[in-house]
This record gives sequence, C-alpha cells and structure tokens, in this order.
Amino acid sequence: MSKITRRKFLAGSVAGSAAVMMTPAKKALAAGSFEGFPDGMGVLVDLTRCIGCRTCEAACNKEQNLPAPDKPFDDYSVFDEIKHGQKRRTTEKAYTVVNRYEPTDSAQPVYRKIQCNHCNEPACLTSCFVNAYTKTPEGAVIYNSKVCVGCRNCMIACPFGIPAYTYSSAFNPVIKKCIFCYDTRLKKGQPPACVESCPQQVMTFGKRKKLMKIAYERIRKNPEKYVDQVYGDKEVGGTGWFYISSVPFEEAGFSTSLPKHPIINNVKDFLAIVPMVLAIWPALFTGFHLLATKGKKSHGHEDDHSNDGREDH
Amino acid sequence: MKKLATYGVKPHDSAVKPNGQKWTLMEKLLLGLTLDQYLGQVLRNKFNWLLAIIFAIGIPAIIYRYIFGLGAVTHSSYDYPWGLFLGFGLFCMVPLSASGFMLGTTVEIFGRHDFEPIERLALLNGLLGYFFAVVYLLVDLGQPWRLAYPMVYSWGPAAVLFLVGWHVATYLSVQVAEVSTAFFEWIGFSRGYEFIRKGTVGLTVAGIILSTLHQGALGALFLYAPGKVHPLWYSAAFQWIHFFVSSIPAGLCMVITVSTVVFYTMRWRCDQRFIESLDRITISLAKGAVMGLITYLFIKFLAVAHDNEWAYLATGWGAWWLFEICFGVILPLILLSFGIHHRLVGVCRLGALITVLGILLNRLNTALIAFNWNLYQEIPHMLEVIISITIFAIYVTTYRFILNRLPILYQLKNSPVEAEAKVPAAIAREEVSASA
Amino acid sequence: MVNPGKQLIKVLAIAALSLSVALSCYAMEDFPEEVEISSLENLFGPVEFDHAFHVDVTESCAECHHHTTGAPVVNEYCGKCHNAEQEMDVVACQDCHSADSGSAENLQKTATEYHFHDDKPNLKAAYHLNCLGCHRAMDGPTGCEDCHARTEAGNKFYRSGKFAPEPAAGGSEHH
Repeated sequence: MSKITRRKFLAGSVAGSAAVMMTPAKKALAAGSFEGFPDGMGVLVDLTRCIGCRTCEAACNKEQNLPAPDKPFDDYSVFDEIKHGQKRRTTEKAYTVVNRYEPTDSAQPVYRKIQCNHCNEPACLTSCFVNAYTKTPEGAVIYNSKVCVGCRNCMIACPFGIPAYTYSSAFNPVIKKCIFCYDTRLKKGQPPACVESCPQQVMTFGKRKKLMKIAYERIRKNPEKYVDQVYGDKEVGGTGWFYISSVPFEEAGFSTSLPKHPIINNVKDFLAIVPMVLAIWPALFTGFHLLATKGKKSHGHEDDHSNDGREDH
Repeated sequence: MKKLATYGVKPHDSAVKPNGQKWTLMEKLLLGLTLDQYLGQVLRNKFNWLLAIIFAIGIPAIIYRYIFGLGAVTHSSYDYPWGLFLGFGLFCMVPLSASGFMLGTTVEIFGRHDFEPIERLALLNGLLGYFFAVVYLLVDLGQPWRLAYPMVYSWGPAAVLFLVGWHVATYLSVQVAEVSTAFFEWIGFSRGYEFIRKGTVGLTVAGIILSTLHQGALGALFLYAPGKVHPLWYSAAFQWIHFFVSSIPAGLCMVITVSTVVFYTMRWRCDQRFIESLDRITISLAKGAVMGLITYLFIKFLAVAHDNEWAYLATGWGAWWLFEICFGVILPLILLSFGIHHRLVGVCRLGALITVLGILLNRLNTALIAFNWNLYQEIPHMLEVIISITIFAIYVTTYRFILNRLPILYQLKNSPVEAEAKVPAAIAREEVSASA
Repeated sequence: MVNPGKQLIKVLAIAALSLSVALSCYAMEDFPEEVEISSLENLFGPVEFDHAFHVDVTESCAECHHHTTGAPVVNEYCGKCHNAEQEMDVVACQDCHSADSGSAENLQKTATEYHFHDDKPNLKAAYHLNCLGCHRAMDGPTGCEDCHARTEAGNKFYRSGKFAPEPAAGGSEHH
C-alpha cells in the first residue's frame, strides 16, 4: 500500500468535498428519486403462465361493479378485435384487459394482461394540477373524482395508456382506471380480485421488494424459459406491477422505448427554470427599462414621431 | 360603414360631441350612429351573414355539447384525450397572443414609443387570444365548473398544468388591466386610467415573466408524453424553449396579420396616426419576427442534433417535419427578409401570414398529428370542428366589436383623460389635430 | 396455513421416524383410482380426476408430486435438496399448496427473507399449472369445461349463457 502524502490527501479531500457539494445539489434538482413506499405491495405478472381465460376481466368487472361487457367473458373472439390497428385497451367499462400476441419465434401465443401498473412515481399523479391522484403507502395509485376538473392530462401523461374517461357523462365525467382494489381489498391487506381469481396464478401478490427478488429468482432458475428482464423494475422509475416473459417484451405489445426514470424527471428541468425566471426577470427588465428610458419621459405619450426614422433594433 | 362615410356620417371618435355634449353610453355603443344607420350597416356587411350562418350551426352544437357531454361532439378517444379544442384552441391561440407582452415590452420597457400606435392592438390581441383560449378550455374540460379548483380548492403544484393555469389566469388579469386603459378612456373614467397607467411598468414586467413561463410551460406539457409525441417534435431539453421562442414571431406576425386585415376592412376606424405609421411599424415588427424565426430555426435543429435524431429525417415523418420547417419557418424567413430589405410591406405581410400558419402547423403537429405517431391518426369529429370554428368566429366578432368602439386603432379626440393628464404637448397636439 | 419451514421440519421428522417403514412401503398399489377435486368448487363444479389413467400415462409420480412420493424428482433444481427423498405421509396437493396463499395472514407469515418455497403456487394454481401445463404439451383437453362443468354462479360471473349481455349493447363503443 502506498503512503498517502499530505498533499495527496488534501487534493483528495478537496475533490471529495467538491464532489459532495456537487452531487447532492444535482440530486436535489432531480429530487424525484422516490423508489416507492418500503412496504408497498405489488404484483408480479408471469406471462408464461397466462392462458387467456379472461377470468381476471370477469373478476374485475364484478369487484368494481362495472357495467355489463359487450361480449361475455368467455368469448375469446375479443382477441381478434382490432380498432385503429390496435388491440383492446382499458376503457371506462374494463379496468383490465387480456390481449393475445403471436410472437415470431413461438408456436404458442402469448397473452398479456394490462391494467394500471401503479408506478412508484406515477406520471398521472405528477401531471395532475388538482392533485386528484394519490400513491398510497400500500402501493395503489388511487383517484379522487371529487376534485377532478377533467383536463385529461393524466391520460396524456400515462406511459401505458391506462386511464379512461367517461366522455358520455355530461355532468360528472370522471377518470376510470384500476385502483388495485384499494377500497375493497388492498386496504385490508387482501390481494386484488383479478389476482385472486386467476386459475394459473399468473399474478403473484406481495410486497413489491420481495416480489422483485422472486421475479429475478424465477429468471435465474429458468434462464432458458425467461427473457432476462423484469419489465417494470426500472421502467418509468419502477412500477408496482411488473412482468416477466418468455418472449421479448416488444413482441408481447410492451413499449420498450420508455425511459428508465420517472416521467416527471423530463419536466424537472423546466420546473427548475420557473423560480429563476420569477427571481431574475423583474430586476432584469426593470433595469432594461431604466437604461432604455433614461433621460426620457417614460409614459409621456409624447409620440411626437421624433424617432420615426429610427427603426432598427 | 364605407357607404355611410360617403353620406358624410362620421363614427364616434372623440370624447365629446361636436356641440360640446358628452356622448351617452348607448350612443357610444352604436358608434355614434342612429339605430337605423347602425343596423343598416350591420346588414349590409356580407361578413356578418357568414358569421350568422356559422353561429346558426355552431351555437346549437355548443349547447348540445353541454347537455350531452363531450362524448356527443368528439370521438371520445382515450388515446387522443386532447383534440382540436386544446390542440387548436389552447396550443395555437396562446402563442399567437404573445403579441401583448412583446409590444408591451417594446414600448413600455424599452421606451420605443414609435411603436405606440400599434401597442393597444397588440395588447388587445393578447387579451382576446388568451380569453378565447380559456373559452376553448371551458368547452374541452370535463367539468368546466371546476375551473377554479386548481386555484382555490385542490393544489397540484408539481404539475406543469398547474403552472399554466395559474399563469394564464394571472396574465389574463394583467392583460385586462393593460387593456382597461382604453376602456376607461372610452367610458371617460379618468381616475381608473391614471391608476392603471401608473402601474404600467409593473404590469408589463409581470406580463413578461408570466409569458415566458407559460408559453414555455405549454411546450413542457408534452414532456409528459415521451414516446407518444414523435421524437422530432419532442425534446426533453428544448421543448419549452421551442414553444417560448416560436411564440415571439407568432405574436408579432399575428399583429401584422390582424393589422393588415384591419387596414383593409376597417380603415374608417383607423386614425391618421395609425394609417401613416402602419407601414413603418410593420417593417419593424417584421424585423423582430425575423430575429425570432432565425433563433427558432437554429434551436429546432439544435434539438435534433442534441438527441441525435438525424436518422428520423429520412422517414416519412422526417419529410413532414422538414415541410413544417421549410414552409413555416424558412419560407417566411426569406419573405420577411426580402420585404424588409426592399421595404415591401406587402411581402412582409405575406411572410407574417405564413409564419402564423407555420406556428399553427407546429402546434397541431405536436398536439395531434405527430402525437401517438406509432398508434394511429385521429380525425376530429365533425361537431368538434364545427364548435372550434364557431368559437373562433365568436373570437373574431368580439375582436371586431371592441375594435369598432374602444380607442385601439384611433386616439380619442378631446379625451378628458388626456386633458386631465395635463400634458401640454398632448393638448397642443389635440388642438392641432382638431383644427386640421 | 402453510409455513414451508415448519412443514419441512415436520415432514422430515416424520420421514426420519418412519424411515424403515417408508422404505418398504414405497408401493404403487396404494394410490387412489379416482380423486374428486372439490375443495375450490365455486364457479366450476368438482373435477372427477381419473388418477389411475394419469398414473398410466406418466412416467413418474414425481411429474406431479415432486419429491413427496419417493420417486426421484424431475426438476434438477429441486433435486439439490430433495435428492433420494422417501415417501411422505402428505402427498395430496392441498397438503402443501395453500388455498389462500395470497391472504393477508399468509403474507405476514412469510416475512422478510427469501425462502426456497416462497414462490410456491397456491392450490388453485398448483392444479392448473400442473394439469394445463402438461395438457398443453401433450395435446390433452385444455378448455375449462373439459375438466369441470361451470356452475350457475360461474355463468353469472362470466356473463355467459343466460347472463350474456344483449348483443345490441355494442352500439355505443368507445375507443
């Protein structure tokens, strides 16, 4: 081991303290390093287990008292429905839907259940200007229709395209989305209805942190079965519901271009400008005013056209 | 109005009648004409008939929307939650209304009183643009009666829209105050006029702050949707600067466009000062717009370079993006520069109009066309288009109603406000112009 | 209901005590011919499981029963611990796979650390994963009602049969 000279030590400590000064400052700007509540619950969705029976859809419909579906839940023709070139998505009548995908290298189709992923730092929540969304310590992202103005910014912001809106209602249109069965089940520590109903236990309910370990453990034990990725571990800063799959995620309809950081991080640079503009502009422009109008009557409305010839800036 | 002018009828343009009496409010509202004369000129104007047709179809459509909900007039799209009402109404009207703070700054902050003849038009353009952006918003919001919630009831201060809401609301009040000077002059409330005039610099600086932030914030709203907005129209680092910078030529060119329309269709309302200085001011505004457009063009390419998106330019979307840049930025840049250099006001006006269209294209691209580029293209519902046009027609009508009356395009003769201000030069000038 | 650790200890203790017995008792004769699986009966009726048939078509009990019947385990990962296991006195699915593994109490019990059996499917999933997994691979019946008839409650749940939605309701669809 080489001896540390006093000089080196000093240099090191200066650099170190500079780093200490810099890093927290940068961290503070990107203050959204919130990684979810420690005991937040989550759900691991294992696509290899799903057989597309739609029982979860039926369970959700029943639990949330949703309107009758257009087709029975045992009607599998819905997997062939295509609207605007898209497969089914969540609607005001269905908080969760299962879609079928035909991966290129697989004889078997892959089924994928979608619902609110209950992000650690949800884009819907951070984009809402009346704070209608709440991420509960239990892990659910819930919505308060009492304060919602109906700007639908959350629908713009949601990277998964989950929130739906009751456009048909004239006097009380609201956002409709999966709330992790918060009121009826999660609050009491129970798994959501879809999880409980699944015959194949495609979904495993538990503490997010522990489930994440299980997810990676499943991949580690069966490397030939799974793609080496947990979708939702890092995506948009981590989601409460996350997926493992036997086929590449883009082949099962997942968006693989999502940032690994929360959506709000994109906006933070701009939000940081706000206090600066608020603080600097008044002095700056009052200064300009004083400089530009020195010796002149500022509001005299003289308008004697004396400077008519001067047009350049 | 032209026809009336040939009979020697002159519209109300001074604080007191030739016989020294004060005008009554009713007389002012009728522009100093008799009721018959007024109705006659309203009916003679073909444009009013067009407006009437639009209202006949559109107003019921708006009522229909409020009775049966948004689902009745839009496609109720979950993938395109923002349609024309916001895509056009909010994202286009607001940049085109940046004129208020631009001209306010020029005249009040930089002391360029040579722009004064058009200052009020620019302020009014700003006020009405914002006001009608809010009207569009009221049509689009699911529960418009809760519009004030983010102000008073439930705060979401981390959201960009919160910023937009607050800033548009405060800036609207600032603009009302700024334009109110014209209104106070018109009704003859000199104390109100003086009160506002004293705070002009403060109001103007507030206008600059609020405009910088919310013009930028409208761009920043799309930062919530990475992956939904096509990468060429999306830039995490530059989005807000794009929106802010492009609002500068947008606002200036909107003033040029409106003043052109006014110049050719409402010349009876413009006074000599306005008519004589308009060419000079148009050229000056065009210079400002050119500076803005060059900056905008530069940072547009800077953003492409920053995110290394050159490869996208070779795609169909890239061609569309290049069209937007060539038609909406480079073409007007050439026209405006040519017009300025050769003192061709007409060319500048054409350039300004194309700039306005270019900004419209950019905002519609960001909000609707390049939005969900990897999903599908939503075509707005017929009624959505009709309602959007109707609100724009109401905007035009209101604009014209105010221009016809308030001293925006003309200076009120023998104004008590001016007299009480006791500015000798002003009184002297008034006397000169009165005797002329 | 099931604590894997405790369960394991208990099972091992019993296995040790009855080692000699177990050795001699490993016999194919005492399996049931038919099993009625009805503990989860709700939306679907009970399953009449032809155990004898499945014994015939499978190569080893371990394909379904893991290490509990004494047959060599199929999964090599399990084999790391459960190598040369003896027959246990618990061989039924529901003896190890809890019907309510997702319940609040159960989640509390399997607390912090990772245990090998933490990722054990619940009873319903154990049945379905095992049966369907094989049926899909072997082209066996895979439809829900191939194995169990749907009950009236099931029809209501799935909005099927007489509970099916009116076909006309599809008119006002959103997208």
